Amino acid sequence: MSRRAAIAAAVVLTAAAAFAQSPARASLERGIALWDERLAKSAIAALELAARDPKTAAAAHEALGRIYTFKGWQQENAFPGWHDEPGMRARAIAELKAAVAADKTRTSAQDALRIAEGFAAAEAVDPAPPRPEIKALDARMQSLAASGAIADIVAAIEERAKAQADPAPYFAGAQILIDRGEYDRAIAIAERGAAVSDRFIDENLSAYQLSGKSEGSHARGRATTADLIGWALFQKKSYAAAADKLEEASRLSQGQDFVNQFHLGELARAQNARDRAREHYLNALSLAGGPAPMRQRVTELANGIPPAGAGPGWLDAELSRRRDERRSAMLKSLVDKPLPKLPLTRVDGGKFDTASLQGKVLLLNFFASW
Amino acid sequence: MPHLKSAYAKYQNDPGVAFLLVSIDEDAKRLQRYLNEMKFPFPVARTSADEAIRLMGLDNTPMTFYVDRQNIVRYQTNGSEAHGDSQQRVGWYIDQLKR
Repeated sequence: MSRRAAIAAAVVLTAAAAFAQSPARASLERGIALWDERLAKSAIAALELAARDPKTAAAAHEALGRIYTFKGWQQENAFPGWHDEPGMRARAIAELKAAVAADKTRTSAQDALRIAEGFAAAEAVDPAPPRPEIKALDARMQSLAASGAIADIVAAIEERAKAQADPAPYFAGAQILIDRGEYDRAIAIAERGAAVSDRFIDENLSAYQLSGKSEGSHARGRATTADLIGWALFQKKSYAAAADKLEEASRLSQGQDFVNQFHLGELARAQNARDRAREHYLNALSLAGGPAPMRQRVTELANGIPPAGAGPGWLDAELSRRRDERRSAMLKSLVDKPLPKLPLTRVDGGKFDTASLQGKVLLLNFFASW
Repeated sequence: MPHLKSAYAKYQNDPGVAFLLVSIDEDAKRLQRYLNEMKFPFPVARTSADEAIRLMGLDNTPMTFYVDRQNIVRYQTNGSEAHGDSQQRVGWYIDQLKR
């Protein structure tokens, strides 16, 4: 009897031991199955549980490492809207190393680690180092900026422009020439920059992948050109012509360019239009970007022309209000999005036929007669 | 609104450009009276304010959208633009999209 009881107890114990190890194994299997379904969060939770048990640690760490490898380097556009998570890359390597450490004979973990380390190494390579001669030519332009002879500056711009077809030397060159008081030369260089910018984008169109992105780049090139020409005209005190160009730049950049808003502010200040000047300075400051000394200067200028009745701290309060406003406007804006299908009727109540509008440039104005 | 009429003069014979006004008026009679006065040379349609708010993010009138040939909104401007050289500004947006 006691012998039978002992056997029964042993059987129960063995079953219990088998059972005790199975939660980890079950966790491991569940984690792998969840990952097959691409349910990442639940898969990771299950695998982390399995990684705590020495019997399943190697397999669990390997599975986790493979998930993090995917997340870190391979999931860009795997599903609509997905992006790589660079923060997962170090974790991928750590998990795969843990897998190899837990079981030195586990070749699948060694393979996965090699692949992840390959990704990490490839990522350390600078994808597009500027050619050394371009760097040198850029440096030469900048070294001449403050006190080089104008003819040398122009020659340096031309040489850099010849070496690589991007518009940067024209724009940087035009700025240098404006700073040196060579306004007409600056305008001529900036105008050439616009054409070069368009060509450069068209030659490399496929690099932009989305038509909206190449359009945006076209607009940026034209905005930079218009702003530089406007700024040169402002320095020449041709205020009306400067306003034309600076406002064109503002439309092209959709009011989102710090330097352009600063320039518009300076123009308004020169024309004694206090309110308009303050408006542009505030626009500028509520945008990111702009070199620090220029931001400092714009802050001082804005502080110098407070609105009527403003108390201390008005500038900070106004800027935070504008940032909030800008954020909600951006969320609502339809710019660069397809025109929504809007139910339209004719004024007499019948259905409005939009066929005649297809494929045309359309001005769509919403109004109310009240 | 009169500035749209004068801006339209430049494009009325251009088959690649269309103007469309959309009214969110509830009162059809009032709208008709207004249109009789204004005599717009381009089509006018109606939609409900609710739809315009929901689909277009309308939060003020007037509001103007400039849409390219691929039916993508490229610019949007809020409020009445009757100040300054608004006719030229309207033309500028259209010309950008005609490129």
